[in-house]
Amino acid sequence: MAKIKAAVINKPGRIITIAVMTLVAVIQMFPLIWLLDFSLCNSNEMFTSGILVLPQKIQWNNYYLAFTNGNFLHYLRNSLLINTLAVIMVLIISIMAAFACGRMEWKLKKVASILMVMGMMIPIHATLLPNYVIYDRLRLTDTIWALLIPYVAFSLPQGFFLTSSFMSSIPKELEEAALIDGCGIYRIVAIIIFPLMKASIVTVSIMTYLNNWNEFMLATTYLSSKRWKTLPFCILEFTGQYSSNYAVQFAVMTLSAAPALIIYIILNKHITKGVAMGAVKG
Amino acid sequence: MHNLYSNKKVIFSLMAPGLIVFVTAILAPIILSTYYGFTNFSGIGASSFIGLENYKTLIHDSVFWTALRNSLLLSIGFICIQHPLAMLTAVKLDKLQGKTEGLFRCIFFIPNVISVAVIAYLWKFIYNPSFGLITKVLRALGYTGQLNPLGAGNAIWAVLLVLIWHGFGWGMLIYYTGVKNIDPVMYEAAAIDGASGSKTFFYITLPLMKPVIQVNVTMAVISALKQMETVYLLTAGGPGNETQFMASYLYKQAFQSYKYGYGNAISVAFIAICLVSTVALNRLFAERGE
Repeated sequence: MAKIKAAVINKPGRIITIAVMTLVAVIQMFPLIWLLDFSLCNSNEMFTSGILVLPQKIQWNNYYLAFTNGNFLHYLRNSLLINTLAVIMVLIISIMAAFACGRMEWKLKKVASILMVMGMMIPIHATLLPNYVIYDRLRLTDTIWALLIPYVAFSLPQGFFLTSSFMSSIPKELEEAALIDGCGIYRIVAIIIFPLMKASIVTVSIMTYLNNWNEFMLATTYLSSKRWKTLPFCILEFTGQYSSNYAVQFAVMTLSAAPALIIYIILNKHITKGVAMGAVKG
Repeated sequence: MHNLYSNKKVIFSLMAPGLIVFVTAILAPIILSTYYGFTNFSGIGASSFIGLENYKTLIHDSVFWTALRNSLLLSIGFICIQHPLAMLTAVKLDKLQGKTEGLFRCIFFIPNVISVAVIAYLWKFIYNPSFGLITKVLRALGYTGQLNPLGAGNAIWAVLLVLIWHGFGWGMLIYYTGVKNIDPVMYEAAAIDGASGSKTFFYITLPLMKPVIQVNVTMAVISALKQMETVYLLTAGGPGNETQFMASYLYKQAFQSYKYGYGNAISVAFIAICLVSTVALNRLFAERGE
């Protein structure tokens, strides 16, 4: 297979393809390289005419300031905690519901599955205003729940959809054997189904992370204190505090982009697969 | 054995969490929103029921139409600019094979994993008229005038550029998966018959990618409608209301103009538009598919 493909593309063709790909890569990466470059300069160097600047002295101090004054670790911890909890909840709830709708026998299961995926069509920001009133009444504003509830609710439809379609490909015989051995439904879900769902668990986790990691509007609306604010606030706070020191702002941006980028580079293959699977099916 | 599978208590306990989340976090807010949409609530104090007044205002609100137009422009930008480029890149990328292929695939997706807040602030700097990247490139090319990409008249195009750039990797990856799923035997047959590269693309790749294209187009339209974060951080809907999208406009009405009731009316319209568009696109593609 590979041989034939290689035979179809001749050498000059391959070089042209690589050149074009490199051009696309440069377009995709240049703004980020620019960001990294200026984060290592001092602010005055930004006003020189060069498109990229070779800093006279690398300003590690920008990063030091960003790290110490930006509450970086605090916000990173919040982001990781909230997103991880959301992923766990989405996984558990969707696998349970997918089992009930896909395997068990009851009259309203079609209606229930339609309700579960309905949320996919509804924009999260349309609930921004009413939720504000609800959370205010329930005194949930400025708590972790104000973010967790909507994050879980709006990632659940996709999670349910993906787990359902994956579960339908698991043969029933396995559970039936367990049933004969006297295993209850809960144990079947936990011990037999759950471990078989690995691929879709990875996909759902990645999609949920990508959905919520960037979220910022709900966080800015529902949270007033620093307690549960997430990573994007690191940048927002800094642009206020160091409004004239652009280089430090660039360092903060680079720093906030780093965790997701590092995770992506490490898990690149899984993420690519997960997104592809999630998006094509969703 | 089947008794166990139709045990009502078990079914209920498995479904309850999911349905509770749906009802409390999605359905209840929508119902509440519909209620507030009929009032002139300002956010605090008393309010009165004003019937369809908000919706009448909405129909004549030019900013609402601007927001819809912007979503439409963004959809067109996604479908006519981003997607063809993404698809061509995906097809070419597939032919590279080996490590180079993996490397480029990894690079193309990078902007997608970077938080919207970083992307928006970064592009604000790129567009900065005094030291931004765009200005510097233009100066290097010999242009001496002043250009403010985020100024009146230009801003919407500047916003579209960022969104098309940012979402490129996502679209590319999905087309790439589609290309990978095409049976290589098809290409072998075409090569044996002596089909040229462009013929292979138009007669094999494109028709076989149809389902993927349909999914991608639907997602593009929906994400164009839902657009909020990037535009809010980049321009906050300004200058004037030129770059307003539905979500950013309802936010502005509720929290900056203190028209909470009106904001909710926009939310309801927003949901309706998203539902109708999704259903319409699915219908359209389902009919075509048969």
